[in-house]
Amino acid sequence: MNIVLVLIPLSLVLLVAGVWAFFWGVNHAQFDDLETPALMPLSEDFPTRSFTPTGETESGT
Amino acid sequence: MSAACFHCNEAIPEGAALIARVAAQSLEVCCIGCKAAAEWIDALGLGEYYRLRDVPAERPASEQNNFLAWDRPQLQRLYVRKLADEAAEVCLLVEGIRCTACSWLIERALRGVPGVVDIEVNPGAKQVRLAWAPGKIALSDLLLRLSRLGYVPHPLDAQALDMVNRRESRLAMKRLIVAGLGMMQAMMYAVTLYAGAFEGMNPSTRDFFRWLGLLVTTPVVFYAAQPFFAGAWRELRARSLGMDVAIAAAVALIYAASVYETVRGGASVYFDSASMFVFLLLGGRYLEMRGRQRATDVVDALARMQPALAQRRTPMGSLETIGVHELSEGDIVAIAAGATVPADGVLLDASCAVDESLLTGESSARMRARGDTLVAGSVMRSGPVELRVTHIGADTVLSAIVRLVGRAQTGRPPSARLGDRIASHFVAGVLVLAAATAIVWLRIDPTRAFAAALAVLVVSCPCAFALSVPIVYARATAALARIGVLVLKPGALEQLARIDHVVFDKTGTLTKNRMELASVVPCGAQSAAHCLQIAALLEECSAHPLALAIRAAAPPQSTACAASNLHTVSGAGVDGEIDGRRYRIGRANFALAIADAMPRADDDDAVVLADRHGALARFVLRETLRDDAPGAVAKLRRQGVRMSILSGDERSRVRVVAARLGITDFRSRVRPADKLRALHALRAAGAAVCMVGDGINDAPVLAGADVAVALGSGAQLAQSSADIVLASDDLGAVADARALALGTVRVLRQNLTWAFAYNFACIPLAAMGFIPSWLAAIGMSASSILVVLNSLRIKPPARERVKNRSEASLPAPRRATPLPA
Repeated sequence: MNIVLVLIPLSLVLLVAGVWAFFWGVNHAQFDDLETPALMPLSEDFPTRSFTPTGETESGT
Repeated sequence: MSAACFHCNEAIPEGAALIARVAAQSLEVCCIGCKAAAEWIDALGLGEYYRLRDVPAERPASEQNNFLAWDRPQLQRLYVRKLADEAAEVCLLVEGIRCTACSWLIERALRGVPGVVDIEVNPGAKQVRLAWAPGKIALSDLLLRLSRLGYVPHPLDAQALDMVNRRESRLAMKRLIVAGLGMMQAMMYAVTLYAGAFEGMNPSTRDFFRWLGLLVTTPVVFYAAQPFFAGAWRELRARSLGMDVAIAAAVALIYAASVYETVRGGASVYFDSASMFVFLLLGGRYLEMRGRQRATDVVDALARMQPALAQRRTPMGSLETIGVHELSEGDIVAIAAGATVPADGVLLDASCAVDESLLTGESSARMRARGDTLVAGSVMRSGPVELRVTHIGADTVLSAIVRLVGRAQTGRPPSARLGDRIASHFVAGVLVLAAATAIVWLRIDPTRAFAAALAVLVVSCPCAFALSVPIVYARATAALARIGVLVLKPGALEQLARIDHVVFDKTGTLTKNRMELASVVPCGAQSAAHCLQIAALLEECSAHPLALAIRAAAPPQSTACAASNLHTVSGAGVDGEIDGRRYRIGRANFALAIADAMPRADDDDAVVLADRHGALARFVLRETLRDDAPGAVAKLRRQGVRMSILSGDERSRVRVVAARLGITDFRSRVRPADKLRALHALRAAGAAVCMVGDGINDAPVLAGADVAVALGSGAQLAQSSADIVLASDDLGAVADARALALGTVRVLRQNLTWAFAYNFACIPLAAMGFIPSWLAAIGMSASSILVVLNSLRIKPPARERVKNRSEASLPAPRRATPLPA
């Protein structure tokens, strides 16, 4: 049963890593739009970025 | 130890304290900004704020001079709307609004300022609608006053709104994941503990798992559950009991009891319950927030349609890229295919296809010909084209609509307030009941008293009460906006559901302001086609509506023959010669005077063509029905709604229109006062009346109906006194909106019934000790989620949307030749 003393701290470390990774993802706009990315492959000309008339692309967020 | 700043509650750096004189006391503040804010709030007599507020104020921004830019007409054009009598209106997104105390403070502080006409604060949307008299005070001055209170105002544009929503949803997601992972771990340890209790676990191992449970639950309670504690604190401060008080009390009780048991090594711990409770409630809140944000998405999407840049044709003929706010009326703007139209304007090229879906709900591309108006925010499907700007910024149709929707969302329907009141009474009752449960159980079986009281607290679900009304309304408003129906007055939706009688205005509502030729009845030897040709030649130069209708019906003329010696006799007709023969066309008595014949009895409305030998033909003209009028009337009839027409027009004309639409009840030649009386009579007879008009001439009449619906476009919309506006200009939307309103009221009733039934059934069970606290947490959350999910069933009616979209998204080829209109 002593293996528990290793495994439980290990699971806690993984837990912290998981929370950290999720926070990183949220802060980097990975979860802001949960609907459109799923539809993107279905449409060939889906506007991935809005186009200004000058041809410059607006910076993605 | 350094003191905290009186205003912003931040620690004051050593030796940096300033003294603010507030309510005749000397109080320490941290900076000049806070000193100014605190003293200013006090000087306004608003010291009450410090007692009401629940979160320390944000530090006032120190750079206060950058609001001057908002006085520049170039910027104001985009964000400010002129109102009647020297007033202007702006919608602000205000950073730092946290609770009702904030909205109280802002309202009180600005309402007293000379020049401020009206102010409305929506703490939920963090929005302030401000109307002021630009002659008396500058906008920058008002913005400065707001910022001195510690609130940073942003005149509302799409991106600012987006930021707030995004931050809110990101924070909610983080809380949710912390609670979720914490809950999973806590439950695993709990399973170990339960198994250990049966199998026999030695106390040190048991304590080890309990401490682990404490470790993973602590962040859940102190980080993830923060919104509940903040909300409870706010409710207590405002001396009201909301659902947050019950939730916070339950979480705090469970957690505190478990920590106590862990330290003491007592009977059992409830860390799993606490974290699961928090997680499930956060899940419900998250869904609610998504629903709310989706509702505001409509406004957001509309606002975002306005591009920031435009391409202007310079006098030299080249193109330059400028900010949209630099455009002025009369500029020539080039728009590429796929780009958004930057301002309202007139098309200069031969034709183009535009997608106005967000404006009208109609997603198929529409053709526009030279001289037609293009509306800012519509997407160009074919291009490039050029247009001459006619309206810019806040004067555009799009801006008017965004503001209307925004205003509708700032107002709270009376039923929402009712929901809040029910919830607060309910929570008070539950707290009493929980205490009573604990006392009774202490007499019967003290070991179960805590669990039972906890279960009562947890299982009761005021959320279902408090949520059902606002979320249903948010959904319904958004769904209606998507079919082009804008609900302007809170409460109009409930009224619309009760409607059983629709009264139409005729002109502009059922008919276009245009005549059309119904039939040609030849009276002599000439064929109908020939008579029509003669008539069209005679009417060549006339601009009379009847002449236009005849010309439109006639086939194109060869240029060889033309009428000469044309004389127009106003109010009678035209006299002229074709190929040496003299004709007259017009009212019967005028036309027949040429042949000394007498008009027939039924010639009153007809246009008569005659020559010296007598009448040649009678032209029967009628008003052109709106294309959507028959469909709309048919839909309403299927719904079992009675219909009437009230018109100021002549009886014969009204009769024709009514007959064509199959409406039997019509009244003609009614003046506005009579219309109003007719509406009152209908309502007195027990009908719930909806008046549909064009919203401009009949404002007082509209006000006399239960629900007033205005059809219209552009600037007229903004001024209408209607409860509901059909921005899509589609009469059929009345029927759709009524169906949707009926659905909304049904869902609302289901929600309230469910909330009542659930609580009525579960609370006694919990009080009797039959429901363990984890099951109570699931029950409560399921109850709220059910209400939310039920509300999501409110959807805009399907309108072959998919088909249209696929057509519209086909690449539009550039066309060299003009398309038929």
